[in-house]
Amino acid sequence: MGSPCHFALFELQPAFRLDLNQLSARYRELAKAVHPDRFADASEREQRLALEQSAGLNEAYQTLKSAPRRALYLLALRGRELPLEVTVQDPEFLLQQMRWREELEDLQDSADLAGVAVFKQRLKRAQGELEDDFAACWDDSARRDEAERLVRRMQFLDKLAHEVRDLEERLDD
Amino acid sequence: MAYSEKVIDHYENPRNVGKMNAEDPDVGTGMVGAPACGDVMRLQIKVNEQGVIEDAKFKTYGCGSAIASSSLATEWMKGKTLDEAESIKNTQLAEELALPPVKIHCSVLAEDAIKAAVRDYKQKKGLL
Repeated sequence: MGSPCHFALFELQPAFRLDLNQLSARYRELAKAVHPDRFADASEREQRLALEQSAGLNEAYQTLKSAPRRALYLLALRGRELPLEVTVQDPEFLLQQMRWREELEDLQDSADLAGVAVFKQRLKRAQGELEDDFAACWDDSARRDEAERLVRRMQFLDKLAHEVRDLEERLDD
Repeated sequence: MAYSEKVIDHYENPRNVGKMNAEDPDVGTGMVGAPACGDVMRLQIKVNEQGVIEDAKFKTYGCGSAIASSSLATEWMKGKTLDEAESIKNTQLAEELALPPVKIHCSVLAEDAIKAAVRDYKQKKGLL
């Protein structure tokens, strides 16, 4: 049997808009209940079960916590499993990505922490806009192509956000 | 994961990094990306009157394998006709660079960039 839907695990309805605080609070509660330490004296079978549940819970939490992963998961629930490795041709967006990466490179070369902060704000805004757009269209079967394009863009921005964080850490040292 | 010597060579000494004027009618630009790893690749060709690729440039933001794949692609495209360039396969790039299975998609990205650049050029010239 397949495992229950990630949302159901947290007693949530499938939705893109999530209260992340509620999600993490619920996660901590559930994680405590299946924590391997609690099963130290239990049978081997129970220990294994708890371990599986703990891993499943963690996977579900990591998926729902991240906007692009949650978006991909929602599309898969609606019968549209997107391939992981794919080449995207979204010229205008990619051109902008190229420019932003050039900018980030310059900020790195000049060790411009204030500039990085401004960059980060803009990136956050762009992520917020993408998320708003995705929330408005993902459950509309007539707008699936749009939802797919948006989730791909979210993935790029997510990677970029990671790089910004890495750069901040390097510059902070 | 260890990179092959050829990947390291292209990564440390990338060939043909740069930018051409995308508005130039003799220049074809291919812009592709891989969302899962966030790689962005721009590959450009300058084609002469005989339909031969005189020059090729690239800029890639991504892992070593993606940079090496696009660097090698520009090397191979120079001096080739458009049809010859279009027939470059990702498997050839991957084999030359000894890419491990998990990095094959980087060579696919480079092949897609080649095709996108050729298509852009042909579109400009009304050849499509």
